[in-house]
Amino acid sequence: MSKIIDIILKLGKVDRRIIFLIIAIAVLIPLLNPIGLPVKPTSGTQQVFDAIEALPEGSKIMVSFDYDPASKPEMHPIGIAVLNHVFRKNLKVYIPCLWPAGPFMAQDALKLAGTDEMGKVYGEDYVLLGFRPGNEAVVKGIASNISYLYTIDVYNTLIDEIPMMEGIRNLKDFDFLFTVSTGWPGTVEWLQYGSDPTGVPIASGNTSIQVNEVIPYVNSGQMVGIIAGMPGAAEYETLLGRKGTGRAGMDAQSIAHLVIVLFIIFGNVTYYIERKRAKKTF
Amino acid sequence: MFWKRQVPLAIVFIVGVLTLFGWFITHDTIRSFIEDDATQWYDVIASFAVILGALNLLKLQGQKVLRRKKDWQYSVLTILGFLLAFFAGFMFRGGHHITITNVGFSPEEVAQVISDKTNVEYEKILGGLKELPEGDEETLDKSYMRMSKAVTLAEELRQAGAEVNIRTEKWGSHLLSEGTLFKWMFDNVFTPLLATMFALLAFFVASASYRAFRIRNFEATLLLGAGIILMLGRVPIGSTISTWFVAYILVLILGIVIGSLLKNRIIALISIIGGLLLVTIAGTLSGWPIDKPAFLYLPKIQEWIYLYPNIAGMRAVMIGIALGMVGTSLRVILGIEKSFMGEK
Repeated sequence: MSKIIDIILKLGKVDRRIIFLIIAIAVLIPLLNPIGLPVKPTSGTQQVFDAIEALPEGSKIMVSFDYDPASKPEMHPIGIAVLNHVFRKNLKVYIPCLWPAGPFMAQDALKLAGTDEMGKVYGEDYVLLGFRPGNEAVVKGIASNISYLYTIDVYNTLIDEIPMMEGIRNLKDFDFLFTVSTGWPGTVEWLQYGSDPTGVPIASGNTSIQVNEVIPYVNSGQMVGIIAGMPGAAEYETLLGRKGTGRAGMDAQSIAHLVIVLFIIFGNVTYYIERKRAKKTF
Repeated sequence: MFWKRQVPLAIVFIVGVLTLFGWFITHDTIRSFIEDDATQWYDVIASFAVILGALNLLKLQGQKVLRRKKDWQYSVLTILGFLLAFFAGFMFRGGHHITITNVGFSPEEVAQVISDKTNVEYEKILGGLKELPEGDEETLDKSYMRMSKAVTLAEELRQAGAEVNIRTEKWGSHLLSEGTLFKWMFDNVFTPLLATMFALLAFFVASASYRAFRIRNFEATLLLGAGIILMLGRVPIGSTISTWFVAYILVLILGIVIGSLLKNRIIALISIIGGLLLVTIAGTLSGWPIDKPAFLYLPKIQEWIYLYPNIAGMRAVMIGIALGMVGTSLRVILGIEKSFMGEK
C-alpha cells in the first residue's frame, strides 16, 4: 500500500511540461477524430435564436464585431453562426467595430457565413462600416447620428452612395442589435450607451469568461440573451442545423475540461496524503 | 500657471456639469451638445490620442534602446514592427489586380496562362472566360503584392490575345484586401502571434489548477466544487454524466464528511452503505433517467450557479464600481482629483 502511495506522491510532483503535453494530446485527439458529443441548446442561446428568428424579413440588424485574433477561436464561430442565421432570414446587416482588428474578423466571418453562396450583395444586404476609435463614444455616436461618425465604409465608399444606408440616421432605425464581444469596449458599452437609451433590443455573443459580467443584464431583462463562448456557438449551430467550428471544437473542449478536472482531483488526493503524512511526522 | 491649471480645471468643470445635468434637463441645445458635439469631440480627441500613443511608444522604446536598458533588444523588435506596420499601412499598398476586359479569339490560350500562374483548374477558368459577357470584365482572384509581377502576367495575357488592365487597391481599403502587405502581415504575423498567446492559456490554466485548486478550507472547497461543476456542466460531456453518478459521488463525499466530523469509521461506513442503497433503489424505481432529478444534473447546476450566486456577486461588484465611479467623477468635476493633469 505504501508503495502505491509513494507512486501517487511521485506522480503528484510531475513536471508541468508533462501536464502541458497531456493537455495538448487531450485537445489534439478529439480535433483529429471528433467524438460527436451531443450538444443541447441552453436557454440563453435559445432566447437569442428565437429573437432573431422572430424578426421579419428585411429587418435591420446591427452586428458589432468587437474582438481580435486572440479570442478568434472562441468568438468567430459565434459571429459566423449569427451572420449565417441573419442572412438566411434575409435581414439587412450593418457591421461597426469597436476594436481595430474587428473589420478583419468581420470580413472573414462574412465570407465563412456564406454571403457568396447565398447571393448576398455588398451594400444591399450587408455593409461593413468598420472601426472608429473612441470606445463608448462610438456607441453613443451611433445611437445619436451615424452619419457624423461614418462618412465612408471600410472600402472607402461614401456612406451616402451605399443603397442600404438610405434612411438610416441612428440606432433607433434598427430592429435588433447583436454584439460579438470579448471585453472592453463591447457588450456592456453597447447596452449602456446604445440599447438602453434607444430601446433597441440587444443580445450578445461573449467569451465564457465574460459571461459573468454580462449575465446580470440578461437576468434584469435589459438583454435578450447571451451566446456563451464556444459551447454557445456549438448550441447555436445545432439550432441552425449547421456544422461549424463551434461544434467541432466542443469535443476538444469537453475532453480538455475533463482532463483538467481529473488533474484537480488527483492533485487533491496527493495533497491529502501529504498532509496526513506531515501530521504523522509531527 | 493660469493656463496650465485653472483653465483645464474650468473646462473639466463646465463640460462635466453640462454633461451630467444635461441628462436631467430637456433643453435642445444642451441635449444636442451631449448627444452630438461632446461625442464628436471625444472621437476627434481619441483619433489624435492614437497618434500620441504611437509617438509615445516610439519615444519610450527608443530611449530604452539608446540607454541600453534591460532587455533593450525587445524594444528594437517593437520599433521595427511598428515601422513595418507603418510602411505597410501608409507607404506600400500592394494589392494589384488583373482585370480582363476581352479574351480575344483565343480564350483557351488565355485560360492556360492564367491556370499556369494561379494554379486554378484550366477548365474552371475557361468556363468563366467563355461566359464573360461582351463589355463586361473579369478580375482574377489572385492579386499581386508587387507591381512587376502583375505587369509580367498582364504582358503574357496580352500576348495570348486578351485585353487586360491592372487595377491597384485604393488607399484605405488596401488594409482589408487580399494581396496587400498589410493584410498579409495581419493574416500571417499578427493573427498567429495573438492566437498563440491566447492558446497558451489552456496549458497554464491546466497546470495552475492542478497546483492551486486544493481543499485547504471551506471557501477553497466551495470554489473547487463550483469550478468543477462549471467546467463539466458547460461542455457537452457534462450532459452525458448521469444524475445518479453525481448522487453516488455525493453519498461518498457525505460519508467522508461524516467520518471526519464524528471521527467514527463505523458510522461513516453505515451512512455510505445506506446512501448507496437509497440512491440505487430510487434509481431503479425511476428507471435511471440521465437528467432527473434535475438538481443533480450538471448542466442545470451550472446554470443555477450562473443565474443566482454568480449574479448576486456580480451585482454587488457592479454597484460598488458604479458608486466608486460616481465618487471619482464628482472629485474630477469639482477639481479635487487632479491626477489627470499630472498633479498628486
